[in-house]
Amino acid sequence: MTVGIKKAARPRKMSFPEGVYLVEIAKALWLTMSHLLRNIVRQEGIRTIEYPEVRREMPPRFRGLHRLMKREDGTPRCTACFCCPTACPAKCITIVAGESPDPRVEKFPVRFDIDMLRCVFCGLCVEACPLDAIRMDTGWFTPPDDSREKLVFTIEMLLEKRG
Amino acid sequence: MPNLTINGVAVSVPEGTTILSAAKQVGIHIPHYCYHTHLSVAGNCRMCQVEVEKFPKLQTACSTVATEGMVVRTDTEAVRKAVRGALEFLLIHHPIDCPICDQAGECGLQDYYMTVGLHKSRYPLGDKIHKKKVQDAGSGIVLDAERCILCSRCVRFLEEVTGTRELQFFRRGDHSEISFFPGRPIDNHYAGNLADICPVGALTSRDFRFRCRVWFLKSAESICTGCARGCNIEAHFHEGVLYRYKPRVNDAVNRAWMCDFGRMEYRKANEARLLAPFVRENGVEKEMPWGALMPQVAQRLSDAVRTHGADTVAVIASPQLSNEELFLVRHFASDLLGTMNLAFTRRAPEDGFSDDFLIHPDKNPNSAGARLLGIPGEEAFHAVAGRISRGEIRALVIFGNVLGAFSEKGTLELLSKAPFIVQVGTNEGVVSRAAHAVLPSASFVERGGTFVNCDGRLQRFRAGFAPRGKARNTIEILVDLGNRLGAGWSFSGEESVFRALSRSEAPFRGMTYGSIGSLGREVKR
Amino acid sequence: MTGPLFDLAVVLIRIGVVFSFCMGLVMVFVWAERKGAAYIQDRRGPNRASILGWTAWGMFHPLADAIKFLFKEDFVPDNAHRAYYVIAPMFVIAPVILSVAVIPFGPDVSIFGRRVMLQIADLNMGFLYVLAVSGMTVYGIVLGGWASGSKYPLLGGLRSAAQMLSYEVSMGLSLVGIFMVFESVRLSHIVLEQGELLFGVIPKWGVFVQPIGFILFLTAQYAEANRTPFDLPEGDSELVGGYHTEYGSFKFSMFMMGEYLHMVVSSVIVATLFFGGWQFPYLHDTGFLFPGGFSVSLPEIVVLLMRCGSIFVKSLFFTWMYVWVRWTIPRFRYDQVMRLGWKVLLPLSLANVFVTGLVLLLLER
Repeated sequence: MTVGIKKAARPRKMSFPEGVYLVEIAKALWLTMSHLLRNIVRQEGIRTIEYPEVRREMPPRFRGLHRLMKREDGTPRCTACFCCPTACPAKCITIVAGESPDPRVEKFPVRFDIDMLRCVFCGLCVEACPLDAIRMDTGWFTPPDDSREKLVFTIEMLLEKRG
Repeated sequence: MPNLTINGVAVSVPEGTTILSAAKQVGIHIPHYCYHTHLSVAGNCRMCQVEVEKFPKLQTACSTVATEGMVVRTDTEAVRKAVRGALEFLLIHHPIDCPICDQAGECGLQDYYMTVGLHKSRYPLGDKIHKKKVQDAGSGIVLDAERCILCSRCVRFLEEVTGTRELQFFRRGDHSEISFFPGRPIDNHYAGNLADICPVGALTSRDFRFRCRVWFLKSAESICTGCARGCNIEAHFHEGVLYRYKPRVNDAVNRAWMCDFGRMEYRKANEARLLAPFVRENGVEKEMPWGALMPQVAQRLSDAVRTHGADTVAVIASPQLSNEELFLVRHFASDLLGTMNLAFTRRAPEDGFSDDFLIHPDKNPNSAGARLLGIPGEEAFHAVAGRISRGEIRALVIFGNVLGAFSEKGTLELLSKAPFIVQVGTNEGVVSRAAHAVLPSASFVERGGTFVNCDGRLQRFRAGFAPRGKARNTIEILVDLGNRLGAGWSFSGEESVFRALSRSEAPFRGMTYGSIGSLGREVKR
Repeated sequence: MTGPLFDLAVVLIRIGVVFSFCMGLVMVFVWAERKGAAYIQDRRGPNRASILGWTAWGMFHPLADAIKFLFKEDFVPDNAHRAYYVIAPMFVIAPVILSVAVIPFGPDVSIFGRRVMLQIADLNMGFLYVLAVSGMTVYGIVLGGWASGSKYPLLGGLRSAAQMLSYEVSMGLSLVGIFMVFESVRLSHIVLEQGELLFGVIPKWGVFVQPIGFILFLTAQYAEANRTPFDLPEGDSELVGGYHTEYGSFKFSMFMMGEYLHMVVSSVIVATLFFGGWQFPYLHDTGFLFPGGFSVSLPEIVVLLMRCGSIFVKSLFFTWMYVWVRWTIPRFRYDQVMRLGWKVLLPLSLANVFVTGLVLLLLER
């Protein structure tokens, strides 16, 4: 085996006026000043989004906070099949299944908690769901909060959310 | 000894062996639903069809006996087509409610659909025939007729094993279903096996219903602690919680079955557990770390021996302990404390229901082991109890929560006579309410060891997961306590104890965990 | 009004005005830095803090910061040397405030018939005092770094000490040319001299007679103030917060204020030494007198205001310059800082002294 030598491009040597820096610094100062002046004159040219009041338009496939879908009668569509916690790589979904009073439903989630602090928003739960009961189309990312408990979303909170 | 070839592999099997079992011997799996190793052959699911040379039609492997020179193929197009067709018929009216079905994950339909099926349904959804779901079939069994594939395993089990015949086929054709006679649900002590043998989700366990998905469960080979029969079981657990027992095939003990009482024994590993060591001072419980409690207990015991004599110290062992633990208990009592007051006591005899099949009147898994290890039983216990009631015992070590046939009140009264009681136990109970120092020990799935069953068979159970809370392995507790009393033990784990035990105890001589294997062996008498 | 009382009042007022001028400039500076940085980087910058719904272009953010710093828990780390740890921030802020004392903010004026200097103290040794006093800030930084009892602050403190000492040399030497040209170290004298014209056309400002000296001094000032591109004492990736890693609440804000005050003061000094101080080009006591002989006469009070405004504007510009440079030039590596200080600035400033001397000698001939 022969070892080939590849010529990598080196930065070219600076010419004397560049080496003295002063001219280059003056050019750089002019560049930053032009940005400053332009932004003062034309405020609307600034791309910053004034976050809480204005929200970025989310792309249609954006994976935001989860929500649980309801049946027509308002009960959760979820049947606690445990496909989502099985698929979840972050182990953030806790389900406790129970016997539903409705014999046609049989099984339903007594508890369905998503620990938002653990969730990595991979969307595998949505893909795993055989009933389209969980979606991530709310367009919201995790809101800040002041306690860990408040960021464990319960089934009631998840059912309330709208897409 | 007929010689035959299956898929080109030559195999020689005993006379009368079926093709299905012969194939199993050479590692070829033939799909089947109705066939069960411990039930009669029915041949009605048609999944095990194979091609046999010179037979004009495909044969069912479960019912065709292997003969000399037979050439069997399971991998031809004709077999694949036939098996796929059989599976498609079985699935025609299946509700496909896997998301809510407890069988999902260990379901024959799911497994074979993925290996031999993978067909598109040709049956309109609306034409499916619906049958009765979620029926309480009695004895903790839930019957879902819609999921049933009519393999008749349950019918044969109730006919051949229990002889109670509660389930039968009803109606005809598409509408035929398994059910019970009105007002005559399943009523026997082996009904739990129905959920095990049902290859689909038609018969499921009420107790396990919706508790945990089976694919989360891990399993450990174990021995049922419900009675002295020592049924071989698999313990299924997930994240430190024990969920269920399933029988393990051992033709010498329980064949493929276990009773419903034993099945519920798993609860003891989850409920009312002692999880942290504590002391009781003037009736008030105070939690204490192991490091602080153990020297204190050792001190109290050796003080009692020194000041009042070894005769004032007593040890009450339990046949719930493994041979390894009992071996250490015996040494602890006779060598370290030097007392003769050593006895074991059994679970109360009113549990002593028995039958002529698996259920044994002795509700302890290791009474035989205790006797073989030279720990005296009933009479010695009554002698010790008498000494306690006369106030002659200054320090008492109790394993477990039971004091013979004493009632709760009687036990408390008896124990109030002893000034210092140490309990090594797994569950809360009457003794832990009276003990002055409670050392929580691991449950039977959190530790390993061996039991000797009522027939003198030495069987091994294995640890599934680490002890819950701050509980410790009983061996660990005994070694720690023993070493504080000058034993100089260097045991670590049950296997090292068993090596010492097999060297010194005649019935166990020459045995190793390797020679016990997973099915156990008879001890020498 | 009696004499001594009047003098005392004048002194106190002068101190008050100059001090509040500097402190006010610090406030504005912090705001300008944040807002300027934002606009240079195409962002909006602070715009949330408001009083009764009025945000004042984010001007209240420094105020909110100050209040926050005041009310934060004032703690001392376990390993810290308590006394030195508390003293260090004071050591940073005090010398800077002291050095403002000799800056002339305008020509002498007469109030109620008395001559009053617009300068706290017109010392003979003038700028030597500034050099002496501002050299003390390095103690505060080293002390803070050491007294924190932690590794990063110690390294940061040592690093900034090495840097400040290196650049102190070139800074002093770069000014020698100025002192040679104006033949004084007294600041009021230097400013007066800069009111004259060079070749009868351009103002005799320091920057025109000592261009190299100006660039050297400005560079050295950036290094002295620990500002980008010389902000090595702090470095999130290597030193965390540098010498003030362990500081919090008001003590941290004193470090920060000291740094900003340093920049304000050095801007005023640059304006004074190189840009004619309070001198306004072609403006004389009576009005404008342009080189062509054209003149405009102005009332005395207008002249005074223009002169005071002149130094104010000049100082503001150089303060802004700090911000501007920070968001333009990326930081140096530590070895580059040392190489620049010792191998470029020092020889250049020595050469500058030599050439200035030679030119002065030839001119005298």
